[in-house]
Amino acid sequence: MCRNRRADRRIMDMEVRAVKTMRPSEIAELMQKALVDCAGAASAEELEAARIKYLGRKGALPAIMKGLKDLDPSERAEAGKLANEFKKAVSAAIAEGKRSSGKTAPIPGRAPSFDHTLPGLWRGLGSRHPVSQVIEESVRIFSSLGFTIADGPDVETEYYNFDALNTPADHPSRDIQDTFWLKNGSLLRTQTSPVQIRVMEKQPPPVRIVAPGRCYRRDTSDATHSANFHQIEGLYVDATVSMTDLKSDITYFAQRMIGPDVKVRFRPHFFPFTEPSVEYDFSCHACDGDGCRICKKSGWIEISGAGMVNPKVLKSVGYDPEAVSGYAFGMGIERIAMIKYGINDIRMLYENDVRFLGQFV
Amino acid sequence: MRVPINWLKEYVEFDATPEELADKLTFSGLEVEQIESLGAEYVLEIEVTPNRPDCLSIIGVAREVAALYESQLKWPDADFKEGSERVEALTSVELLDPAGCPRYTARVIDDIKITDSPGWMQERLTQCGVNPINNVVDITNYVMLECGQPMHAFDKKLLRGERIIVRPAAEGEKMATLDGVDREISPDMLMIADARKPVAVAGVMGGAGSEICGDTTTVLLESAYFEPTQNRKTSKMLGLVTESSYRFERGVDIGKVEWASRRAAYLLAEHAGGTVAQGVLDVYPEEAEERRASCRFAKIRELMGVAISNRRIVEILESLELTIEEQDEDSFIVAVPSFRVDLECERDMVEEIARIEGLDKVPDDRPRAEIVPNIDDSALRAVFECRNRLVGLGLIEVMNYSLVSSEIIRKFGFDEGSIVPLLNPISASQDVLRPALLPQMIETLGRNRAHQAAEAGLFEIGRVFRMDKDGKSRESDHLAVGLMGNVGRAIIDKRREAAPEEVFLWMKGIIEKLCSSLRVSNCLSVQKERPYFRAGCAVSVEINGVECGEMGVISLELSEALRVTEPMVVLEMQVKHLLQSVYTVPQARPIPIYPSIVRDVAIVIDDAVQSEQVTELIRKNAPPELTDVNVFDIYRGKGIRDGKRSIAYSLTYQSLERTLTDAEANEFHESIVTSLLKELDAEIRDKK
Repeated sequence: MCRNRRADRRIMDMEVRAVKTMRPSEIAELMQKALVDCAGAASAEELEAARIKYLGRKGALPAIMKGLKDLDPSERAEAGKLANEFKKAVSAAIAEGKRSSGKTAPIPGRAPSFDHTLPGLWRGLGSRHPVSQVIEESVRIFSSLGFTIADGPDVETEYYNFDALNTPADHPSRDIQDTFWLKNGSLLRTQTSPVQIRVMEKQPPPVRIVAPGRCYRRDTSDATHSANFHQIEGLYVDATVSMTDLKSDITYFAQRMIGPDVKVRFRPHFFPFTEPSVEYDFSCHACDGDGCRICKKSGWIEISGAGMVNPKVLKSVGYDPEAVSGYAFGMGIERIAMIKYGINDIRMLYENDVRFLGQFV
Repeated sequence: MRVPINWLKEYVEFDATPEELADKLTFSGLEVEQIESLGAEYVLEIEVTPNRPDCLSIIGVAREVAALYESQLKWPDADFKEGSERVEALTSVELLDPAGCPRYTARVIDDIKITDSPGWMQERLTQCGVNPINNVVDITNYVMLECGQPMHAFDKKLLRGERIIVRPAAEGEKMATLDGVDREISPDMLMIADARKPVAVAGVMGGAGSEICGDTTTVLLESAYFEPTQNRKTSKMLGLVTESSYRFERGVDIGKVEWASRRAAYLLAEHAGGTVAQGVLDVYPEEAEERRASCRFAKIRELMGVAISNRRIVEILESLELTIEEQDEDSFIVAVPSFRVDLECERDMVEEIARIEGLDKVPDDRPRAEIVPNIDDSALRAVFECRNRLVGLGLIEVMNYSLVSSEIIRKFGFDEGSIVPLLNPISASQDVLRPALLPQMIETLGRNRAHQAAEAGLFEIGRVFRMDKDGKSRESDHLAVGLMGNVGRAIIDKRREAAPEEVFLWMKGIIEKLCSSLRVSNCLSVQKERPYFRAGCAVSVEINGVECGEMGVISLELSEALRVTEPMVVLEMQVKHLLQSVYTVPQARPIPIYPSIVRDVAIVIDDAVQSEQVTELIRKNAPPELTDVNVFDIYRGKGIRDGKRSIAYSLTYQSLERTLTDAEANEFHESIVTSLLKELDAEIRDKK
């Protein structure tokens, strides 16, 4: 701004009287002046000011051209020639000025062909589904604690989903999870815990894995339940693994995933494959624990179950329960996504409305 | 389990508000789901986990409360004056299946007058969700709720032969249960029978033929222990779950079977005018062995990670009515009372100690990083790379259910035999596992169109399921990409309609970029015919020479069905082929130091000639100095005859050894163009 005003003042110093007609000598003189101005322009702004002054619509050149017809015919031819020369020379000087000093920078608000307010044209990024973001983020956090990823099939056998997990047939603990069965006797895993067994069967201790994946339960779907959902299973088996490790690792995870202020609480519970067993809740991030729609006014959101691996499970995979102990946990991915992103209905996650998904870029 | 607090207070003293009590119970393992206020009474709704049948009773919960509040459990009265007649003279019990029924007791109560039960009893039953019926039935239910022991009262005059036989059902037997249903029973089920026929399904439901009614005067009172597994089987086979079967299949207290009978007889004498015959028939051939667990203090501390003292450990176990039998400074032996069917070993004691001491005593601020060497999970991480690249290409990730409707799948023409159906679906809209991602991807595009999104670029990576010939389900991870409308255009160019071919080429660009970033080669080859693709507008996708997917323009019928007028193009392929080289590290190659020269040529060819044919011919006739060929313009219209188009190519010439001269480049170009025109019988588009 400041600089522009100074430039204007300089041009004013070299004032050109707008005369109705200019004689050839006057045109020549003005041309010299114009050339000096152009050569002496210190910036793109000054150069542009000179251009407008001499070549612009209301500048000197149009005035000269307009005045030609009023000249004495004897002078008119020469004046016309000089006017052309004026145009050529001054244009060249301006072009030269631009070239030599890189004064091509456009002048904001002055160049009519440049509009920086038009929409940006570079194509956008897409977005990751919140569930898949939480899965990757979970894996990353657990990786920082030394966990590696393991995997297992969605269609499982009764053995891996129940029997090996100390959940025998004809035992009421099977009622906890209503199961989808296939016609060939297989089932859709009700939890990611079968991966525990598959990994321990293949690998001697120590084991430190997380296994993200889909699970299926015959729940009727509502705001917090879906027949299809994701869990991330965690398993750590080593010489001396304690409940302190379990609580600490889950709490560390929660703080990294949700934020340093999140609170985690553990309640005793029952699962056949862990003993002791717990359920754990994260404080609701959406309301800071004050109670809202997402946490059903309780301030807490139930994430899933965990516990110390039942010695019977260790025995079923050939581990010595006297030599090793372990912890295991499952985490409901959708629940974490709901807390993290403030989503109050689990079904939103599977409607795949781009207006919803586009928010998670 | 519903627990009225005033009822609870009959058995244990404690000083806490209902909310405080609920909290304390929840954090020691009995989750209080809600507190209901009924006039002056508060009723706790407790979720009792399957391992704790002892808490399916008011006394059981009171026992927990006593441990938590360091209080004492008070047992109710069960002493009464017996009549003169001996029970043995009135009936007998014959136990033919001691495995299914290890203990059976019977009492006989005479002089019964059937009336309503007292108001306070009716009120408590109602609070617990049990309908009052008459004094005798109500008393059996009351005792069950009170101490967890299900009971059954027979009208003794309706029983034949003065005896009770506990036996498996005979082949072909039938009986009508109390709920008025005629039931087929099978030899796997345990029956309570009189001399002639079954009168109750053991532990599940009584028979209609011996039901207590208005003129009942003599009651035969059954209190027994039925084996949980068999009981559960029976209840499952009959499809009948009762308050009684629910408790038996979880395990009742075999040690309190007789006490419960006495308690009920006491109440029958009090509130039904009964005279209780002398003695009890208590058939208990083999007394249950007392369970003992040997435990180590150090191991308990180690598993908890908490420095809890020996003294406190013992104190907690004793507060739960466990008996410490031997103890030194390292270890102890604990005897488990019969009501705690869940406790067997040291590990179980850890849970008891942890939950009574409070899980909040276990530290949560000591996370540890531990590396297990020699574990490689890079293959499972690779998919994250793929996802992030697709996002980089501008696509929005979606997630659809694994369960889909068989009807929709059938419409897509998948081979019926390869579909994996569910045996027990919730609804017809989710009755099979998805064999592919495309049907849902197309549906998702359509649904978004219905929500006024005129364009979309979506992808999904998910599992698909197929049945193989042996009837085994096979699963693999697939990638689907779906494009709709003008998604590939810049924002100020959106009104310019995209032709299906253009949308297809956007998709082609996506797969090309994805593949090159994942370091695999891709190729679109033979045309594919699919019911869901527009004829002639679909191809198969090959990765490193292996066919593993397909892509194409969605058929008009399908588009119309979804009311989408914009072109839709979808791709589906197996993921594993894409990920085989993710971790290949690119090796630096020298970049050319000599300048390149670009020459263009626009040729007019038949529509039938495909662009790739032209580039192949160009390359075939080219010297090694031709380093790149690109299409930069396609033109139809004025100056070009119908059925033909002009395609303009730019050819880049470069030498690795020296600077090419214009003359050399012109010579290369001339010779390529000449042979191209000859082989294609094409002409150069006039430059004007």
